[in-house]
Amino acid sequence: MGVTRRDFIKIAGAAVASSGMGACQLTPAALAAQAGSGPAETYVATNCEMCHWCCGLIAKVVDGKVVKLDGNPLHPNSRGKLCARGNSGIGLLYDPDRVKTPLIRTGSRGDGKYKKASWDEALNYVAEKMLSIKKVYGPEAMALFAVGSCSAHLAPLMAAFGSQNFGKPSFAQCRGARDVGYELTYGIIPGAPERVDLAKSKVTVLFGSHLGENVHNSQVQDFAAGIGAQAKLIVIDPRYSTAAGKAAYWLPIKPGTDMALMLAWINIIIKHELYDKEYVEQYTTGFEELKAAVADCTPEWAARETDLPVKQIIETVMEVARYRPNVCIHPGRHASWYGNDVQRSRCLAILTAILGSWGREGGLYLPTKASLKKSQGKEDFPIPEKKPIMDICGYPFASMAGLTNGSTTGLRDATITGKPYPIKGWMVMGTNILKAMPNEKETMDAINNLDLLVTAEVMPLDTAMVSDVILPSASYLEQFDDIGVERGYHLGVTMGRAAVQPLYESKDGYTIARELAKKLGLADYFPWESLEAKIKSQCKLWKIDYDELSKKGFMEMEGTEAPYITAENQPVFKTPSGKIELYSKRLEKAGFDPIPKYTPVEQPKEDYFRLIYGRSPVHSFTRTTNNPLLHDLFKENEVWISAKKAKALGVKHGQYVTLVNQDGVKSNRVKAKVTQRIREDCVYMVHGFSSSSKDLRNAYRKGADDQGLITRYAVDPICGATGMRVNFVKVVKEV
Amino acid sequence: MPRYAMVIDQRRCVGCMACVAACKTENNVPLGSFRTRVVEVVGGEFPNLRMELRSELCNHCENPPCAYNCPTGASYKESDGTVQIKRYKCVGCKACIAACPYEARYIDDKGVADKCSFCEHRIKQGKEPACVATCLGGSRIFGDLDDPNSPVSKILSEVGSSVLLKEAGTNPKVFYIRKLSKLE
Amino acid sequence: MEITITGANELTYPTLHIWNWMVSLYLFLGGVTAGLLIMSAIGNLRARNLRTEEKIDVIKAAMFAPFVLMAGMFFIWLDLERKLNSYWFFLSFSFTSPMSWGGWGLGLILPLSMLYALSVVPEEYRHWLKFDFLKNLSRWLNPHMTALARTVFALGIFLGIYTGILLSVFVARPLWNSSLLPVLFLTSALSTGAALIIIISKKKAAQLFFTKVDIWLISAEIIIIALFFLGHLTSTAPQRESVMPFFSYSHEYFVFGLSFILIAFFFPLALVMKLMHVQEEHHEQISGGSLFRMKLSAYMVLAGGFIIRLAWVYVGQISKLS
Ligand SMILES: Nc1nc2c(c(=O)[nH]1)N[C@H]1C(S)=C(S)[C@@H](COP(=O)(O)OP(=O)(O)OC[C@H]3O[C@@H](n4cnc5c(=O)[nH]c(N)nc54)[C@H](O)[C@@H]3O)O[C@H]1N2
Ligand SMILES: Nc1nc2c(c(=O)[nH]1)N[C@H]1C(S)=C(S)[C@@H](COP(=O)(O)OP(=O)(O)OC[C@H]3O[C@@H](n4cnc5c(=O)[nH]c(N)nc54)[C@H](O)[C@@H]3O)O[C@H]1N2
Ligand code: SF4
Ligand code: SF4
Ligand code: SF4
Ligand code: SF4
Ligand code: SF4
Ligand SMILES: [Mo]
Repeated sequence: MGVTRRDFIKIAGAAVASSGMGACQLTPAALAAQAGSGPAETYVATNCEMCHWCCGLIAKVVDGKVVKLDGNPLHPNSRGKLCARGNSGIGLLYDPDRVKTPLIRTGSRGDGKYKKASWDEALNYVAEKMLSIKKVYGPEAMALFAVGSCSAHLAPLMAAFGSQNFGKPSFAQCRGARDVGYELTYGIIPGAPERVDLAKSKVTVLFGSHLGENVHNSQVQDFAAGIGAQAKLIVIDPRYSTAAGKAAYWLPIKPGTDMALMLAWINIIIKHELYDKEYVEQYTTGFEELKAAVADCTPEWAARETDLPVKQIIETVMEVARYRPNVCIHPGRHASWYGNDVQRSRCLAILTAILGSWGREGGLYLPTKASLKKSQGKEDFPIPEKKPIMDICGYPFASMAGLTNGSTTGLRDATITGKPYPIKGWMVMGTNILKAMPNEKETMDAINNLDLLVTAEVMPLDTAMVSDVILPSASYLEQFDDIGVERGYHLGVTMGRAAVQPLYESKDGYTIARELAKKLGLADYFPWESLEAKIKSQCKLWKIDYDELSKKGFMEMEGTEAPYITAENQPVFKTPSGKIELYSKRLEKAGFDPIPKYTPVEQPKEDYFRLIYGRSPVHSFTRTTNNPLLHDLFKENEVWISAKKAKALGVKHGQYVTLVNQDGVKSNRVKAKVTQRIREDCVYMVHGFSSSSKDLRNAYRKGADDQGLITRYAVDPICGATGMRVNFVKVVKEV
Repeated sequence: MPRYAMVIDQRRCVGCMACVAACKTENNVPLGSFRTRVVEVVGGEFPNLRMELRSELCNHCENPPCAYNCPTGASYKESDGTVQIKRYKCVGCKACIAACPYEARYIDDKGVADKCSFCEHRIKQGKEPACVATCLGGSRIFGDLDDPNSPVSKILSEVGSSVLLKEAGTNPKVFYIRKLSKLE
Repeated sequence: MEITITGANELTYPTLHIWNWMVSLYLFLGGVTAGLLIMSAIGNLRARNLRTEEKIDVIKAAMFAPFVLMAGMFFIWLDLERKLNSYWFFLSFSFTSPMSWGGWGLGLILPLSMLYALSVVPEEYRHWLKFDFLKNLSRWLNPHMTALARTVFALGIFLGIYTGILLSVFVARPLWNSSLLPVLFLTSALSTGAALIIIISKKKAAQLFFTKVDIWLISAEIIIIALFFLGHLTSTAPQRESVMPFFSYSHEYFVFGLSFILIAFFFPLALVMKLMHVQEEHHEQISGGSLFRMKLSAYMVLAGGFIIRLAWVYVGQISKLS
């Protein structure tokens, strides 16, 4: 096993300083004390990967150990600050439970029995399996699930191998549906980082989007700056989120009915002629059709659907209209809610358009038009004989222009059924698919059909622990981060240096991809011996000073910003019509509603609650749950239940309960948070808890796993993203 | 001599907890102990609720009961107005912990009493305290009360503020700008 | 109100728990020492001209005192987190810190109580003292017994009050923050001191004397406790809240409720038994039952004194200002 009992005790023993208090007191420095020593204090610029926001950071390294992380002041995503997770990156680097050596499974899948292997052994094993899969089923039978900076190296490897079956839960289970909705409307996505001009908006509208708990660094900075500048905040959330706590208006909406509210707002804005006429005239198509389509969406109707007072619906939309165009209708990020998510995102896009706030101060700003193109290296990947699954899995917009991450569940289905063709090998890196995709059983069914599951991991998380081979990955602090182009407000170039050498036997993502490529006979695609060498040659190509870039971590190209619409700076919409498509002919042609229509979602039966979920400000999904520093701040999630319902059920605050879903699946025990802060028809928890991995001393079976309870999911027919808020649970007292 | 103080603009705190995490690594605070925390208080009944987010730390009291009760002089008031600890003098009697009405103190892994130092080592280098530097909300403001142009003096002269447990007579130097969210 | 804290200190949240039974025991033994010193000083001063036989109990009491004190000091030393830094107690003095006063006070009381103990050893018992220099010292000190007894009498009062002041200065802990606490601890110190003498004594006269003394002290103690609670219950909200654990028999506070019951039971019962004892003593020979009652009531006073220290140390840490 990766971490044996003996290691555990050894490391714990070394790290724990005794004290009269009797408590086991571990300090961050004691955590770091395991590493070797080197030269004195240095500062290294790199990028944070505690979540997907990719903030620039400066690592302070003393005697070969990272002792402090600070935000890189030059980097637009961090601006000198890091969030709680970013600040606690040392806890990942020096987590004693890390995967330390390559491991090959010896027991049956899931029982956690592995033998230590050399890199050579492990990679030979993987290469042999891959080649035999290729021989029998064709190269397309390999699929890649990869997220984060390291995926940049595995995707070309897989493409070179002959497969373009890529899946990203951070897309299909995240913002995929939103991006498709905006792409259909504007021909361009709202960006990641989202181009929300929160610092300057006069009114900010959040549907879900629990900023403050959802901590995407610079976005939260802007959010707070907006609040500081007296922006009015309208928060639509069945739960009194932190953002709701800051809001002028909190609309505790009945879950799943948001579209009714949005359509009613659109109707009111149009009916009372509160929209931006010039803007609509100049930049949009299909306004008349929109007007007709929403004509029956009255506030009274919306009030019935959403369980909100008519007065509140009208009052809030009046505030929004009053301050247009300097209002930000936040496009959201995690959009896979109910399976109608493209259309809900379309509603947000349409609202933004008729308020004229796309390309306006305080709304959504425009991306820079400047770019740095020319890339290097061998890119003549073989064209797969069989089309990628996402192109043929029945969701017409699963691979919309530029959105190449497709449907994760499509790949899973193919693996289970063998249709349209068999998938026999999965390579996983930077994502914990078992916990990121809905219905863990289906994921396991698919995995049980595989000839090869190889996971490159930093931590022995759930997916790793059901893999055939586990490859020890360097964390972001131990590896270079590829040179990248940021096209947000400005054009910028980013890269990261390794703050310390990879610990244990771990290797960086580029090296793993390159060494595997060698074994597969694909070495041509990885001509640079290290990522650093690759970055240096790219710098030459772009005429950027490598030394300067590697020292700064981020270089902004001055004068490249063009955020707001002016006579000279006209927005570009890459839609067929070249305009904002309020009415979508593309959707119409594919057989979908060209203008979003409201369809009610199923509501919970008696005794059941809808299960909704979200974020803790101090954790990222599953990846941080074992981090000693973050565990210290938030040890296990709780299930939020309305005080009224709790009283009826006899559940007390702090008491352990279990949740049982509509299909009889039971959760691990979880503490009840009995609160006024949530509607009576739903319960809420933070995603990512209750790991099944025994090798995680802090995370193993702590709290409840929302994903385990998400056995049902609603696939968005337009793009194949999965809505995951369609499960109902009973709250059962622990006996 | 400066007189250092902090202002917590509660209106801008978004509960991100970056301050808590930054303080921990900056000052190598043991697991289970903290120099700063964020208290979230929610009152009212659904759906008429209000929320207060309040980050707390050592108040660097003008009348510090912790220092008054320290038998060895390990806890003392520095000339810059901060309350500090001479580690070598601490016997670990915990009188200071009992004396602090703000529960600002803990015993570290060496058995020495510890607490927020206003990041003494950073301010000496002209940097802001770690929690201030990383505060995503821009809610924590640091500076010299005796300098009318410092950010703390400026904001205190513009907006009303209060201190915690005024009745304890400690005369805190952490000031709170409160404003509970109001529902309309 | 729903309160969620991120970054709460394990040591102070949900309640302070820096001090445990070791501190209670220190306060208790300190109190007993104070009582022994005061009682024996009175005894030795009053019995100056009596035969050794007749004053043997107060002599023993004086000799007990330094040992009890050392035991107490051992426990407070055990509680220190940085034991090796203890010398700083004596390299500094802080006027505002009762603990600093206490440190110096103990540093003074311990040797003086030893000298006092040596000074009261009568000629015929000097062979108890193992070493010659002790015998010599004792012989040399004997003439100064009166002065020493007066000194330790004063120091005993200081010690008894100090154990209470130590806690009462903490404005942050409303249960402790009361000027009645030093008075309560001093009274308790005296009564436990008297009780210990009753236990170690073999002399009927002494027992009777100290039982009579104890009757007054216990009566005073009961009144002070009642006043203490009355004061807190009619004071500010934090003070009112602070005594609640004594009256709430909920699961988490059960032991404190129990301690209150024990205190409320032991003292009156001890008082009644002592009164009976005193009454009996006037016309009868001491009976077996009476002897048992007398000793039992003394043990009860001791137990009650210790329970008070335990309860106050623990419950005081639950109390807070906000
Ligand atoms: N600290 C931290 N921050 C993160 C992340 C993290 O892991 N940790 N992850 C990042 C990523 S990748 C993403 S995608 C985002 C996700 O964060 P968001 O994009 O903000 O996610 P949402 O699902 O929009 O918001 C969750 C909120 O929606 C509410 N909600 C549930 N159902 C409904 C409903 O039917 N209608 C409405 N109006 N509200 C509902 C919930 O009560 C909850 O408050 O967070 C990002 N930020
Ligand atoms: N039920 C439910 N499901 C969800 C969500 C939800 O809220 N609820 N949220 C959805 C959303 S919005 C998203 S974005 C996805 C996120 O889903 P994922 O991206 O899968 O997120 P994590 O669970 O953090 O898993 C990341 C994995 O990558 C590993 N890892 C981290 N850094 C590195 C590295 O540098 N190298 C390597 N090799 N591995 C690394 C971590 O140890 C961890 O196992 O989940 C989606 N799924
Ligand atoms: S938002 Fe936080 S966790 Fe995410 S990259 Fe930035 S600092 Fe790291
Ligand atoms: S807050 Fe507490 S620790 Fe800080 S100076 Fe005041 S009393 Fe001392
Ligand atoms: S614990 Fe240390 S700092 Fe605190 S009062 Fe005792 S000696 Fe002073
Ligand atoms: S000032 Fe420094 S020590 Fe004090 S809370 Fe902030 S980071 Fe921690
Ligand atoms: S860092 Fe600032 S905004 Fe975030 S919780 Fe702390 S005080 Fe509040
Ligand atoms: Mo996401």
